[in-house]
Amino acid sequence: MNTRMMDGVLFANMIRGGAATLSANKQIVNDLNVFPIPDGDTGDNMSMTIDSGVAALHTNRNDSLAETASSAAKGMLLGARGNSGVILSRIFAGISRGLEGVDKADVTVIGKAFESGVNEAYSAVSTPVEGTILTVYKDAVNYAGSKISPESTLESYFDSFIKELKRSLERTPLLLDVLKKAGVVDSGGAGFIYIAEGMKMALNGKEFSALTSEQSSSRKIDLSAFDENSILEFGYCTEFLLRLQTSKTDVENFDTEAFKEYLNSVGDSVVCFKDGTIVKVHVHTKKPGDILNYCQQYGEFLTTKIENMTLQHNETHSQAHFEPQVKKPRKPYGIVSVASGKGIKDVFTSLGCDVVVDGGQCMNPSAEDLISAFRKVNAEKIFVYPNNSNIILTAQQAALLYKEAQIYIIPSKTIGEGYASISMLDTQGKTAEEVIEEQKEVISGVITGIVSRSVRDTRQCGIQIHKDEYIGFVGDDILNCSQDKNTALLTLAEKLDAVNYDIILVVCGEGVSVEESEEVYDKLTKANKRTEVIMIDGQQPVYDYILILE
Amino acid sequence: MLILFTDTDTDLTPKAAKEFGYHLISMPYSIDGKTTYPYEDFEEFDAHSFYDMLRNGVLPNTSAISSESYKKYFEPHFKNGDDILYVHFSAAMTATFEAMDKAVAELKQKYPERKFYSIDTKGITIGSLNIVEEIGDMYKSGKTVEEIMSWAKEEIDHFAVYFFADDLKFFKHSGRVSGLAGTMGTLLGIRPIICMNSEGKMVSVGKEKGRAKALTRLIKYVEELGSEIEKHRIIVAHTDAPELAGEAISMLKEKFGTDLRIELVDVNPTAGSHCGPSTVGISFHAIHR
Repeated sequence: MNTRMMDGVLFANMIRGGAATLSANKQIVNDLNVFPIPDGDTGDNMSMTIDSGVAALHTNRNDSLAETASSAAKGMLLGARGNSGVILSRIFAGISRGLEGVDKADVTVIGKAFESGVNEAYSAVSTPVEGTILTVYKDAVNYAGSKISPESTLESYFDSFIKELKRSLERTPLLLDVLKKAGVVDSGGAGFIYIAEGMKMALNGKEFSALTSEQSSSRKIDLSAFDENSILEFGYCTEFLLRLQTSKTDVENFDTEAFKEYLNSVGDSVVCFKDGTIVKVHVHTKKPGDILNYCQQYGEFLTTKIENMTLQHNETHSQAHFEPQVKKPRKPYGIVSVASGKGIKDVFTSLGCDVVVDGGQCMNPSAEDLISAFRKVNAEKIFVYPNNSNIILTAQQAALLYKEAQIYIIPSKTIGEGYASISMLDTQGKTAEEVIEEQKEVISGVITGIVSRSVRDTRQCGIQIHKDEYIGFVGDDILNCSQDKNTALLTLAEKLDAVNYDIILVVCGEGVSVEESEEVYDKLTKANKRTEVIMIDGQQPVYDYILILE
Repeated sequence: MLILFTDTDTDLTPKAAKEFGYHLISMPYSIDGKTTYPYEDFEEFDAHSFYDMLRNGVLPNTSAISSESYKKYFEPHFKNGDDILYVHFSAAMTATFEAMDKAVAELKQKYPERKFYSIDTKGITIGSLNIVEEIGDMYKSGKTVEEIMSWAKEEIDHFAVYFFADDLKFFKHSGRVSGLAGTMGTLLGIRPIICMNSEGKMVSVGKEKGRAKALTRLIKYVEELGSEIEKHRIIVAHTDAPELAGEAISMLKEKFGTDLRIELVDVNPTAGSHCGPSTVGISFHAIHR
């Protein structure tokens, strides 16, 4: 195909294509993680980020290119998770900025918009690291831009774009030592290639639907938003997959156009297409039952989803409406932290955190998750403890998007740093800047070691690691490896000179038994007579032990 | 003549009381409804077993004594024609002195010529003890009650006491420390630093992580606030933490020389019920509290 112009409908389909293709391949991206443990996986983070963009598109299906790009970007900015998710969202935010006021764009305008994505993405990080998604995207934009000629089509642009994405990705280990050592390419860059490939498929004419969007089902719905006196104003968002049955119809020659016509006569916002013997349907209607009965003439349902849009509307409406009523006097300071594991969350709450956002090693929270925490805190100044190096950027993004309070991010990269700094937080008679300085000082005096089980064989930092062995590490440095988690922990403590610290705090993960934690306590106490040993039942996933030395 | 009184909340033991010439008022604590009067219900305070009991989960209560009790302490002396000076623990921490006022008012009607003086040390345990002992010294050397009263007026604010909390449960239970912000719900190695302010209340002035840092901070207070410390006693108290108290003493000696008058005492069980086991505190003469 020779597509010369991109409009909102095409771009929306391309983003859906990108999301679908990444989603299908996210495990491959996850496996590119330098670290052999499943924490903050790039594939999941990027996939959930772009899915948020797709979800935002849903409501604006007839928009201009500018509007579509803007909706997608807004969705992604809010839904951004992890560093690569944040960067991805900023790429699309930059593209959207480049398309402002544009109804339809030719390849030159698209090229410029993609360039604007480069600048925006680089500005997202204070010290951009080359050899990451940033470089891969920038190289591809520059290369594809240089190939634009009067004969160029969107297809030819994307071909060049993807070609260079792949070449640049191969170069990432040359730029980034950790990749080279781990023998992998950059996972964020790899994730972006799947997105670009999905976009290209959409450009080639493949229809991508947002019908089986998983994210909407996981959302908690406030059922009271539609009560016995409510009026059905908006109908039902009805989506299903229908498998055409040979016993009922001529599957080969099924007339999609006539089918669409029927759907349009009983509803609106119709999306309908046939893929093999499956017909995908999206329609808004006040009588979903009628449509289901009609459709069943031709086949059987594979999946169905019917959502009351009046309820959803009331829900968002009532939330917005509800807020001013609960406005209590604002506190001068509030604290938001991120942690997972009931025990750890309790510790943070007892240390004075107003809201502990669920997340961390296994699931990074989105910018939106953090924003809703900010809202709950209702304070003039909010200190945010990300407690994970992959969440700091998300927190910064959330801070940028949230205007109702001053947000200060304490750059805690681990649970240990978070515990150490929050527990010493003292805001009395100090400016926020002084508090931050003090907190950074505390952070500099704490070491967090982690014991976790390796999910694959690997060789790192000169240590041969087999799948299912327990590794002890600090930051990116793997220090030891054992078949047994307690041995791994005790060795790690020894390697980190735990003896020389005042406090050893051991946070036990969900898989640690009482016997195991008792053994740890006994041995650590015996080996470190001067040091206080404190055990916490953190119940966190993934990390069997978090060893905090202060 | 002048009769000196103090109470057991000031950490003065019967033995020391005898040396200075103090009469002791016993301030009670209760565990599971059973009330104990220190040095009346036992002769020697077994600090180790008491604080061990607290470590194992016992949370004692403390209670005020009645005006009748005060009368029983004071009346024989008024009857004898003596006057009384009561050097007591902080009035801001208790309701017990309302009962005392009532008792004194009643006794005054009965013995109109008798004089009753009181000095609020605005402290408890060693924060009071340092003052109690200085007044004991003056009493022994024959100073008049007027001299003692005017000394106290000037000097009470110059006796500082700083200690750290090991387990906030006890402070929370007693509700007698202000400024223990919500940020300290779980101690997890955090040691709030507490002092007695010039109103005679316990206030939290910060926190440290770990006992070692907490001890260092206490010594820092002595260094920064101390004035003429060599001319006065430095009293180190602990709630069954002899090693830590010993460490504090060596740190003091290392910093300020070995000829300091350092006393080491056990925190009495009633005051100890507020602060719990394993704490250490230092009382010293200071520029201000």
